[in-house]
Amino acid sequence: MAKHKSSNNPFCKKQLGKPVSEIFQYGFFSFATYCIMLCALVIFGKIIIEGAPVIWRKGADFITQKPQTLAVVEAVEAEGIEIPTDNFDNILSSNDDDALPLKNVEEFKKSFAYKRFLLMPGSIIGEGYLKSIEQQNKGFFLIYTERDTKSSAGFSVASDKEITLMTDQFEKLKSLIPKLIPAGVTTREVTLSDYKVTIAKGDYALSKTAHDALAPTDLIFQMRQGFPDDEPDKICQSIIPKTQTITVDANTYFAAFDEDENGTLPIQSQEDLPKTTIFHQFTLAKGVYYAPLSAIAILANQGITTQHNLVRGSIVVNLAEPAELTLPVSNYEQLIAANPGIKLEDVTDFEQKVDYTRFTLAKDAEIRIDTEDLDAITRANEESGKFKTNSENTHSYSGGGILGPIVGTGLLVIICMVVALFTGIGAATFLNEYARKGAFTKSLRLAMLNLAGVPSIVFGLFGLGLFVMLAPSLTSTPHIESKLSLPLAPVASTPQLRVVEEKKIHMETRELSTSTVVAAARSNSQEYFHDGWTYLSFEGWGTCMLAGGFTLAIMVLPVIITSCEESLRAVPMGFREASLALGASKWQSIRTAVLPYALPGILTASVLGITRVAGETAPIMFTAAAAERSDLPWEAVQSTGFAAFVEFLQQSVQALPYHIYTVAGRIPQSEYTEPMQYGSVLVFMLIVMALAGISIWLRIHFRNKIKW
Amino acid sequence: MTQKKPQNIEPTASAIDQAVSQSPSSEHTEQAKAQLAQTRPTNHLNGLKTMVEIDDLSFSYDMGKTNTLQNITLDIPEKQVTAFIGPSGCGKSTLIRCLNRMNDLVETSRITSGQIRIMDQNIHSKSVSPIELRKQVGMVFQKYNPFPKSIYDNVAYGPRIQGIKKKSLLDAAVEKSLRGAALWDEVKDRLKDSALGLSGGQQQRLCIARTIAVRPKVILMDEPCSALDPIATAKVEELILELRQDFTIVIVTHSMQQASRISDQTAFFYLGELIEYNTTEHIFTNPSIKQTEDYISGRFG
Repeated sequence: MAKHKSSNNPFCKKQLGKPVSEIFQYGFFSFATYCIMLCALVIFGKIIIEGAPVIWRKGADFITQKPQTLAVVEAVEAEGIEIPTDNFDNILSSNDDDALPLKNVEEFKKSFAYKRFLLMPGSIIGEGYLKSIEQQNKGFFLIYTERDTKSSAGFSVASDKEITLMTDQFEKLKSLIPKLIPAGVTTREVTLSDYKVTIAKGDYALSKTAHDALAPTDLIFQMRQGFPDDEPDKICQSIIPKTQTITVDANTYFAAFDEDENGTLPIQSQEDLPKTTIFHQFTLAKGVYYAPLSAIAILANQGITTQHNLVRGSIVVNLAEPAELTLPVSNYEQLIAANPGIKLEDVTDFEQKVDYTRFTLAKDAEIRIDTEDLDAITRANEESGKFKTNSENTHSYSGGGILGPIVGTGLLVIICMVVALFTGIGAATFLNEYARKGAFTKSLRLAMLNLAGVPSIVFGLFGLGLFVMLAPSLTSTPHIESKLSLPLAPVASTPQLRVVEEKKIHMETRELSTSTVVAAARSNSQEYFHDGWTYLSFEGWGTCMLAGGFTLAIMVLPVIITSCEESLRAVPMGFREASLALGASKWQSIRTAVLPYALPGILTASVLGITRVAGETAPIMFTAAAAERSDLPWEAVQSTGFAAFVEFLQQSVQALPYHIYTVAGRIPQSEYTEPMQYGSVLVFMLIVMALAGISIWLRIHFRNKIKW
Repeated sequence: MTQKKPQNIEPTASAIDQAVSQSPSSEHTEQAKAQLAQTRPTNHLNGLKTMVEIDDLSFSYDMGKTNTLQNITLDIPEKQVTAFIGPSGCGKSTLIRCLNRMNDLVETSRITSGQIRIMDQNIHSKSVSPIELRKQVGMVFQKYNPFPKSIYDNVAYGPRIQGIKKKSLLDAAVEKSLRGAALWDEVKDRLKDSALGLSGGQQQRLCIARTIAVRPKVILMDEPCSALDPIATAKVEELILELRQDFTIVIVTHSMQQASRISDQTAFFYLGELIEYNTTEHIFTNPSIKQTEDYISGRFG
């Protein structure tokens, strides 16, 4: 179509189409490309511009700290505010450099009266007091094994207190500690009903109050999850395995079955059993008293507090040798007054000088402050009354600190990659080396590739169904909702019988031979749960990092298998032939002449897999992630040996992507939390980029190193 | 003449006729063929002890639809070098890979008739383990393929997978094999270096050393010099002549000069059939069949 000019040049440009369309094409494609680049630039730029100052200001603390929640305090202008220097430095680092109008900042030493003493082994001490000793003596941390549940403990009554008790409790208190009851006890009669209540089988939401009221009753129920310490008002799901009828007193009735309250149980049918209750009333004078823990427990309902743990008892100090400790005089006096079982020696007075900072707040200012520091500054200025605040607002995570999420993500990735590499390499080896090349393997491979296209939230739900709720686990006390529990083997230690008597379960430790337990279990399977057995119970692992890791592994498997297969295919056939020709068996040749040379490729691919896994939110949402957690996973482990490992794996963890989601979408937004979002995103992005960089480096490294 | 892939060959004896009919003196060939048919083509081996006996072997790569090898009958004498020559696709490599059952790796391969006996044992019988067979019948491949490991590890590979772990035994085996492959003097100071750093000829000799470290009875060589330059080829050939004293060697080669230089017996294959098998001297000086003569004199192929 093009007319050739009579030219000698055989390579002259031919006129193909009109130049206008060419320019248009060029324009469109370049426009599209630049648009994408622009978007990327804007997003990355925003993250870097907002995130970098946060990281710059907080430094390494941002990464090495646990998530920190700051209070924003509007402090009133004042002169001569005093605060320990440590706390002062913390406050400075929490606030922007020039944000605080400070004047006349001066350091000085403040002396406090202290007692120094030796804490003797065998002392019995309340848990709360032990904690305060540990706080005051850095480096002292008591690991205790024994508790004392019988001995007396102290409690103090700050001012005269009126106590009202029902007859049974009053009599119990009287029998336990007659001295406590003063002469003037008044009685009054009230008509209150007991209630006979029938509750239908099912799943119910239960509040902590209702749970505590129901726990001592005959009702058989089980919580799906525990009540978190940091959210006491949270309502959790409980299971009632069968329809039951129980008789409860009025207190329990109103706590657990009140229709107007959230988190109480609905009643199928009820019957009132009216009866007269006698109340005893007396006044407890101000002072320090000693009483058995069970007696204090009765009084605890009346608003009397103690620093002893009423359920688990006081701690028996099991030190090998006496520990030299110090306490402020006021704390020391409290300790002595409330712990009759404590043994101290060599008590001496001394003055301790503490670094203090005094400063003037030039005008009203907004201070971001950690709760501990707020406590310290409030305490330090309690007497002078100089530190006054107009308002205090806490903003979750406004202090940054993403160690928990980083650690959690790391653990999830490790579990995921261990599982994914084992199964992935296995499957790829099977497909590439063992399986016959037929329609079946082809469809198997196709199915696996299609898995890569499944939305990640589907994997999350899959993980929830399989690993959180169905996967088998070994336990001696199967969950009520276990899908199937198979007794495997008697536990080696002393068997316990879990006896069901009149529908009530209680544990009974008896010296029983294993055969007795087995016989009891066989003959009376209706009446006995035999707890001397280990069960294989299909009850799932719960929301934990193990379930999350497995879910992520399933998600990343298609990628891993595909790249493993590619790596295996890249190993020259000659290696396999040479190895076989030297008399190696099939497995020997795969192990020594194929897998070692495929490993670099597998490694490179798995690092890429890590970047993908680390960034996933949806699969871990239901299976592993915790929105907030104040400690690191290993800090919460209490058991030892292999049990500790299992316990460690069965915890939910924070994870970086989920943390970002929490900070950005689930907590109340404020100007204080926003920079932390960007900081977290920036750190996350850097981590992912570093991983991708490692992957690229590995690829180049191995490409240069391995030639065949 | 164009070369055809074995799959395209009609599985009939007419293949020879076809080829022969193109040559001018077909009468002479017919005669020789008739003569050949009367006798086992291995009668010339009078007195020599046979190591490998191939009886009427037919082999197929595609479940028996087409035969790549057709009715091969051949005896290979002990401690001699036997060369297989023929144009590409004539089945000589297939045959050599049958001898240590490397063709088992191809899932669709089948022996359609006949059998192979090595040391009087049918190697395809159920009681024969291919792993044990390959320890006795080693193989050196066309493209030298040392593992990307050290020289030492390459040679020690065979003994190691047989379970030898003792350092002194391994050391002795490595030295003996490397000496046997005439490589010891060149590499004794750098046994721990990567085998991939050696020259091509050295790598191929390393592969031979790796093979003899397992102490096989038979060594199969599949065009061992085709990727080597003339000097390296000369060294490998020298080595083969030395190895001949201890091992039975079967070598596939494209180079007629090489076959004439190093082999004692030569078999000429064409389109999956054994055309002529005789002493090397006889084949190269006085071939009985016209086709053989055409091939070795370079008139076709």
